[in-house]
Order: sequence, then C-alpha cells, then structure tokens
Amino acid sequence: MNAPLRIGVLKLADSAPVIMAQQKRIFARHGLETEIVVSPSWANIADGLAWNRLDAAVIFAPLAMMTALGHRGHGAELRPLARISRGGNTIMLRGINPASGVWQAGSRGRNAFDIWRNAIGRKPRIAIVHMYSTHLLILRRFLKMIDVDMENEVTLSVMPPADMIHALAENAIDGGCVGPPWGTEAEQLGLAFQVGGSATVLPGHLEKVLVASGKLLACEQKVSRMSLAVQEALSFCQKPTHREEITQALAAPVADGGLLLPPASTRTILPGGEARECVTFSDGNLLPSDLDWIISDMTALGWIGEVEQQMLKRWSGPIPAASSPV
Amino acid sequence: MNEEKKSSGTRLRVLVADENPRRGRALSETLHADASLDVLTVPPDKALIDAVRDYGPDVVLVDLDRADRDALDSIRALSCSALERPVALFVDEDDVDLMETAFDTGVCSYNVLEALPRDVKPLLRAAIALYARFRRTRDELTEAQIALAERRLIEQAKRSFMKNEKANEAQAYRWLQRRAMQTSRRIAVVAEEYLAAQKKDEAS
Repeated sequence: MNAPLRIGVLKLADSAPVIMAQQKRIFARHGLETEIVVSPSWANIADGLAWNRLDAAVIFAPLAMMTALGHRGHGAELRPLARISRGGNTIMLRGINPASGVWQAGSRGRNAFDIWRNAIGRKPRIAIVHMYSTHLLILRRFLKMIDVDMENEVTLSVMPPADMIHALAENAIDGGCVGPPWGTEAEQLGLAFQVGGSATVLPGHLEKVLVASGKLLACEQKVSRMSLAVQEALSFCQKPTHREEITQALAAPVADGGLLLPPASTRTILPGGEARECVTFSDGNLLPSDLDWIISDMTALGWIGEVEQQMLKRWSGPIPAASSPV
Repeated sequence: MNEEKKSSGTRLRVLVADENPRRGRALSETLHADASLDVLTVPPDKALIDAVRDYGPDVVLVDLDRADRDALDSIRALSCSALERPVALFVDEDDVDLMETAFDTGVCSYNVLEALPRDVKPLLRAAIALYARFRRTRDELTEAQIALAERRLIEQAKRSFMKNEKANEAQAYRWLQRRAMQTSRRIAVVAEEYLAAQKKDEAS
C-alpha cells in the first residue's frame, strides 16, 4: 500500500530539482516517501508512466503529451504537476564554425550553413534524443530561421545524449540538438561548436515538466505535497549560490543518488553559470504560453489534430483536482 | 526437415536485442527450439536501429536497459527514416498484466507493422520467463554476497573484541549477540558499529 513513489529521470542537468529534493530530503519533509529511477531511455520513461511502473517523471512536454494521447500505443492518464525548467538546449555541429559564434537568422545563417555543409562534404546527419522532443521542435525552428528545410536538407537520427559525444568523435553524425550539459560537454571536449539553441530560437521556452500518472493523480494529498516539495526544490536549484552543491550532487554516482554527470560542463550550465545556454529552474503554474508553441508545432508536424489540441490546452493552469480527465 | 520445409513460407524473423550477452544467448537458444523462427541477435557495438535496418526482422525483442531503444521508438514519426517498414511497440490492451509483467521484468517487443499478422505473445512470454529466471539468479547472487559480507564483518568485529577485551571467541560472539538483542538490531549491524567506533578511537 505504502510503496515509495517512483519518479523517473534521465541523466540530464534539468533533472536537478528532483535529485536535490531527494538528496536534501525535501520530499521526506513534505511527508512523501520517494524513489528516484534513473532511466536509460525516454521510451522507458514513457512506458513506465503508461504501464504503472512510474508514478511521476521529469520529461519534455511533447513526449508526455503524445504518451497521454495514446500515440505510443497505450493511452495513459497523465497531467503535469509542475514546470521544471526553461531553455538549456544547444544545437551543436562538428568541424569548424565558418561564422563567429551562433548563427544569425536569414541569409547570413544560410550562408554559414552552406559553407559548413560543403566542408563536411555530405548531407548533414543531425541527431536528436527522441522524436517527440522539444529538441526536434527547437531544431526545426532553428533550421527554418536560417532557411534550411529540415525535411530535405538534413538527415535526422535518434540517439541517447551520451552516445552523441562518441558519434561526433567518430564522424558518425555531424551535429545534434541536445539537453544540458551534453552540448557544452561536446564543446569543452573540442568535438563540436554551438550554432544556436534555446536562447537563439525561443528564449525561456518550456523544457521539462514533472508529470504525474493517473495513480498518483488519484491521491489529492500526495499531489499537493509533491507540488509543494518540487516548488521548494526549484527555488533551491535556481539560486546561483547553490551551483557548486548541485554540481557535486549531479556528478555523484547513481548508486549515491547522483547522475554521474561531467562536473565541469554541468557547473557552467546551471543557474549562475557562464555558458551561453544556461538552464533556468522555473517555479509557478504552467502558463498557456508555455504550451501554445508546442501544441502549434506539434499540429504543424501532423502529430495531433483539432480535438487533441483542445485536450492539451487544459494542461496549463493550477494543479488539477484529483481524477479530472486528461 | 519436412516440418521445416512446410513452414518455410511463414517463418518469422525474430531479432533479439539484449545488452546482457549471456541472457541474449539463452533467449536465442530457447527460441531456436521453435523451427518456425529465424532467430537473429544484435552484435555488440551495433546500434539497434542499424540492426533492424540490416536484418529486416518481423519482431524485435528488446532489453529495456538499452538506451538506443529511443531510436526504434521514433521510427514511425521519422519521416526521413531510412527504414521502409514501420515498427511499433507491441501493445496488448486486452492483457494489461502481460504488458506490465514484461515492463517489470525488463523486456518489451516491437512489431514490424507490415509483417504477416501472427501472435507474438508466446515469444514475449518466453522472453519474460527467461528474464524472470535471470533476475531471480541475480537476486540470489546478491543475497549470497550480502550474507558473505555480513559474516566477514562479524568475524572482524569478533577478532577486534577479542583483542581489546582479552576475551575468547565465544565470549566475543555472545557480547555481539546480547547487544543485538538489547537494541533489536541484526548482529551484522552491531558488528559494523563496533568496528566503526574502534576506527574512530584509533583516529583520535
């Protein structure tokens, strides 16, 4: 009956609020018994939520939405409990940057792309971490911004962030759009340069949310306790003075409650860090504007229809009362 | 031979994608027993999606620990995928227990949507049974390792107590036992605490 609540995360810096809430016993202080499940893939997170193996997860909104709508084969009652982060994604390419710094919109960006593509000598292979990710939406908007057609001018592939580092080193891919700290890590290792990202394309866009499964949603008390605990953890993580403590916690081995993240790049992308693309931990209610761009891009890609759009618009606002429909 | 020939038209190509080579081999062997199956495995260092592309299986049994499952997950949505035949996670809405057990034991199954329709549940069930057996063995192994480590701690604490208190082995064990009873804790925990306290004394 009183099994701990299982919260799924991936090895990413924007999992920090949940990791810190566990390590600093914020969940426990709010009367919650919790267990962090570090998952190897986004598919595991989505399946875990759909088949009662997880009670909650830190996930990007498009995948949570597609899972809730049953587009992965089995519908699941899911609702976001909290916004976790804004921004933090980077678009990285290998080789030499023909421009200085991030690419400009329009013909200047297009020009840089053409020079770079000629230098690598093939149709660019760009990796993302999952098809239903904010990374795909951000990449698509970036390419559009520099007049490059994602459908025809690049080849997309899907791979885990840590694999992208290897793939870049072996020229198996030519770039990728990836979450923190992996883009910065690739840059620090000299494997890639940054041409854009969240801040270039859509500053402050919604990135991760904490989503709850139907089983957790049915328990109003646990939902409200978890929301309060996460809000507290978000304020903690947003303070630049806590940057070092969070870096150390995330760098710890999984067995010790960490995520084994590379500390040097993690330190630079946390709030108060010096990276161009830092993650922002953002408390408060999920706003309609957080979701509008995602719903509109998902519609443009043909993933969802009119009725589904209306369903997803109900995801913003205060935490839902128990057992309200998806 | 005849049997094999007869079923050759409906042979099913099954790809086993397991990061654990021993378990992958065991599962392949189990499936090989069915003459109507062609069983293939993903070689180490080959990405799951590349194996699916190269071998063209009808069914893929995937170990949930594989991080590259996300690539398979995305095939349907990837408009520029090099794969001609769409692949989707096998979901049995009528048998929620089967699906939950599969995810619990750490395995799932993908179907190639244009393949001949055939019940893949027996394959998934075989994989679940094998994964459950492997998990049990692993749990038993872990338990045995814990028991061994605890025995070592108790032995060490006994030796330390004998030296400090000039006691014999039976007296040392009785002291640990009594203390465990008084504090309602396991004897190994008491032994560990005793050793920690000794270490602290030595350091100060």
